Amino acid sequence: MGWMKMKLTTITKLKIVKMARVNPKFSAEIKKYGADDFNACFNCGTCTATCSLSDEKSSFPREMVRYSALGLESEITSSLKPWQCYYCGECSTDCPRKANPGELMMSLRRWLTAKYDWTGLSAILYKSFASLLIFMVIVAVGVIAVAFAKDFNLNEIIHFGHYFEMYAIAGVFATILLPNIIRMWYFTVIKPGKKVPFKRYISSMADLFLHMFTQKRALGCDDNQTRWFAHFVLVIGYLTLLFTTVFLDWFSSESMFVVVLGYVVSAVVFVVTLLFVMSRIKQKTEVTKHSRPSDWMFVAWLFLMGVTAFAVRLFIDLEILESNLWLYLFHLIILAQWALIIVPFGKWTHFLYRSFAIYFEKLLEGKK
Amino acid sequence: MKERIGVYICHCGGNISDYVDVEELGRMFHKEDGVVVSKDVMFACADSNQKEMIEDIKNFNLDAIVVASCSPKLHLHTFRNVASRGGLNPNNYVQVNVREQCSWPHSDNPREATVKAAGLIRAGIKRVAHSQALDNIELTVKKSALVVGAGVSGMKAAIDLARTGNEVYLVEKDFFVGGHIVQQETLFTTGENSKEIVSKLFKEIKSYRNITLFTGATIEKVSGSLGNFHIDIKIRPRYINTKADYDLVVKALNECPVYVEDEFNLGLKKRGAIYKNYPDAMPNIPAVNLEVLQSSPEAMLQYANIIDLNQQEELLSFIVGGVLVTTGFDSYIPNSGEYGYKSSPYVLTLPEFNRLTELSSNKLVFQNREIKSVAYIYCVGSRQSKGENRYCSRSCCTSAIFSSLNIKEKYKDITSYHLYRDIRTYGKQEILYEKSSNLGDIYIKFEEKEPPVVEYNGKTNVIKVKDYLSAKMELEIEADMVVLVTGMVSRKESVQISEKFKIPIGSDRFFNEIHPKLKPVETVIKGVYIGGCCQGPKNISESVQSSLSAAAKINALLKSGTISIDPVIAVIDENVCTWCGKCEKVCDYTAIKEIDKDGKRVALVNRAICTGCGICAPVCPVNAIEIAQYTDLEIESMIDGFIQKIEMEVKEETTEVQQESESAKMKEYPQLWKDIIQNIGESKKTIPQLSEELTCKSEIVTYNLMTMNKYGIITADGMDEDEAYYYYKVKNR
Repeated sequence: MGWMKMKLTTITKLKIVKMARVNPKFSAEIKKYGADDFNACFNCGTCTATCSLSDEKSSFPREMVRYSALGLESEITSSLKPWQCYYCGECSTDCPRKANPGELMMSLRRWLTAKYDWTGLSAILYKSFASLLIFMVIVAVGVIAVAFAKDFNLNEIIHFGHYFEMYAIAGVFATILLPNIIRMWYFTVIKPGKKVPFKRYISSMADLFLHMFTQKRALGCDDNQTRWFAHFVLVIGYLTLLFTTVFLDWFSSESMFVVVLGYVVSAVVFVVTLLFVMSRIKQKTEVTKHSRPSDWMFVAWLFLMGVTAFAVRLFIDLEILESNLWLYLFHLIILAQWALIIVPFGKWTHFLYRSFAIYFEKLLEGKK
Repeated sequence: MKERIGVYICHCGGNISDYVDVEELGRMFHKEDGVVVSKDVMFACADSNQKEMIEDIKNFNLDAIVVASCSPKLHLHTFRNVASRGGLNPNNYVQVNVREQCSWPHSDNPREATVKAAGLIRAGIKRVAHSQALDNIELTVKKSALVVGAGVSGMKAAIDLARTGNEVYLVEKDFFVGGHIVQQETLFTTGENSKEIVSKLFKEIKSYRNITLFTGATIEKVSGSLGNFHIDIKIRPRYINTKADYDLVVKALNECPVYVEDEFNLGLKKRGAIYKNYPDAMPNIPAVNLEVLQSSPEAMLQYANIIDLNQQEELLSFIVGGVLVTTGFDSYIPNSGEYGYKSSPYVLTLPEFNRLTELSSNKLVFQNREIKSVAYIYCVGSRQSKGENRYCSRSCCTSAIFSSLNIKEKYKDITSYHLYRDIRTYGKQEILYEKSSNLGDIYIKFEEKEPPVVEYNGKTNVIKVKDYLSAKMELEIEADMVVLVTGMVSRKESVQISEKFKIPIGSDRFFNEIHPKLKPVETVIKGVYIGGCCQGPKNISESVQSSLSAAAKINALLKSGTISIDPVIAVIDENVCTWCGKCEKVCDYTAIKEIDKDGKRVALVNRAICTGCGICAPVCPVNAIEIAQYTDLEIESMIDGFIQKIEMEVKEETTEVQQESESAKMKEYPQLWKDIIQNIGESKKTIPQLSEELTCKSEIVTYNLMTMNKYGIITADGMDEDEAYYYYKVKNR
């Protein structure tokens, strides 16, 4: 057996030398996604030491800061580390050079979102606020056009809205989100040449859903319980609202349970998002200091969705929606913009990418 | 031979007398031959005691004194002074160190300490008996200084020396002043224009009538010594007719058709054979490279009216009191192939690159290519763990970063890569590093054992480097230009300079100071000082600091007019000397010369240069050399004194006295101490044990044990099993 052992060690010692091309232009590119000061980094590693989620197995953010400074795109694309950060901001507070590693990690998540997106639209919308506005207006005009086509008949529009919601979810998922997750899987698992036995894909599935709905790992951040709880309530509220409107047909439902449930969850959504908006205005914590249009859009639209849905159902119950058609149209515009822009190409996707990152990480764990 | 000697033995307030029986020694040396007074004193250095000694000298008509006390480092001058005040020659005084050499090191054996002290004191008495009355050597100092090298350090030092009223000779090898700094457009960290600084200094130099500046001049010969150096210099001619029409000279300067390699611009361009280093170079008279110009008879004819072929090399000599050497440095020239230097295109050293950026206007172009990205490789020629230059050149990190910032500002859109080993932008220079890093310059750290490799792929330079900040990932960098950040090396002329002035050269080939901290600008040659980079790598601020501190030293020397030197020097017995030259060979200071003395060839010691190191004495085959204060007679009599048997009747007595005193002391001990000693007896005990057995609070036992330990009554002896408490035993049982 001795020779075999020897052979094995020689094989493991064979290291494929990888040449990476330094790309100074990457810095400028990543800065368009919000990062600004990371070039100041002098590699002391304080950020990695202070991070409560970084460990020997997966050490960040210094490594990502370094890759960004050198412009090693393929290293970043194949890395799951940006998704492992839940942005408590401690690294940015402690950074001796004010290089803001926390915001770089956030920007890398935006950049990766754009990178995973096969349409390339995410990149345009993240980098150019003007184009984001144009797309928003186009969708709004589209909704009004549909209403016009339906002669501004409320029932027909509500009917359309209901079906639009269902088809939009299915369509966006099938054409954008699913391919993008497959791309993420390709970039992080397949392209780096890591072989994962099929069995592990099944056995790791539990983690995917656990983290998708709970964001359990964010609890590992220091002093993050309140923020995690608010986020958790919002996720559950949002998903329940989605379920209530799409599958229980809240706006047309006669069931007392469904009606009340809808009121409660929509209220939950707008109250929690209002808190988030307020904290971004106050900018008291590291995480709320650096809001980009994509961040504002995300919380604002969630808030508007909750409020308008609540108001629409209230108007239905008060029987004044007929005379206030504009309210439903406004709700529908918000909904359409949400479903066609923010969900597929905006910040919404972090819901999927974060949990899939943990899932992929689980798949690769055996390989390390 | 001194026969009326006074001996004083100091208690040092117990420092000595606790272990050395000074009273007994005092009594003992009364009987010594030649000793008139022998006393023990509480503090020899105290005022009252000094007065007593002076009175003794007068009353007993003493001719020499010995004080046995502390180290001469502490009080030699105190007691020499006492001797002087008493009317003795200060050199008829000998200090014996019985504290650092007897009582302190031998506190465990007081009797032997006393015996040793007795031996040392007797040796001192014997030595002082043969001591000679020597006077300090007084030299007159010529009130003028020579400054070698008119770089920024030399110019600034010359101005300071002149301002304080000294005659200054400033000698520069080049035809123009300014040295290295004018080869950079602007200077870190403030971005001042180097040429403006030099022009300002030149103007100031011109305003002092007591500064004589020689350009194109070299040091030919140096003789003499401290206070009176004889300097011979040679001045090369410029060959410009001083009476020629200035407009014609300017025209020739601008239009000279005969071209020659431009040394000032490090070979990046050619210059005319009638030249100035740069348009505003000072002094404002061009120089002519006659050899090259003569190769073109038409040019010679054309410029016949401005060229003066009659100018000859000029020899001049003058005398100076002190010398300041500020000859600066050379930039390290990489070996061919070192990081692609000379073997790949687009590889320059930092000084070359600095010339290039200054000569380029709105576009940075080198060999027909516009430079858009620059990779700087640091520590080239410095910090070579296996090479000759093991030192750090101190200024190159900042210099490279400063250049990278400048070209970024001048040409926009330049990408900079910094391949470094460590960034040493110390002090305020750190701000430049931070600025560069904030601007997005990419810093890549390599180690000496895995240096970057520069290759030219036909289109561009590709540098392969292992980045120690990315887990040694192999990186590839494309850069239009590779700049080797070269350090400083000693000037190639420094060997000749060293030979002329006898300045020692260190292993780094720079000039050596006496002590890096306490005598940082002094050399072992009295009157010769060093400043600036000839001593080792420095930035401009540090260079000027050191040269100004040397200037202050020289000024103090010149201002004194005379200097007084310790008379401890070699003395030749001319009757014995037969001149073999061996002493001259071994003398590091060239203090010994052969002379003719009444028809006999003998050695002569230059009293100003000799340091009394003593190396010449043992090599003399006929024993003609003595070192004053350390003559054979003195040293041999000391040895005789020391080996003489100490007749100490006290031998038995001391032990008895000691025992007696111990039991006497015992009577004075507190009751608890006696109890503790009795309780411990022959065994050893811990604090809790004693506390329990003596039914005494452990704090009280602890406190008393500590005090007893301090007085040496008990001592710690190992720890208990749990390693929680020390065992104590009674000492000296």
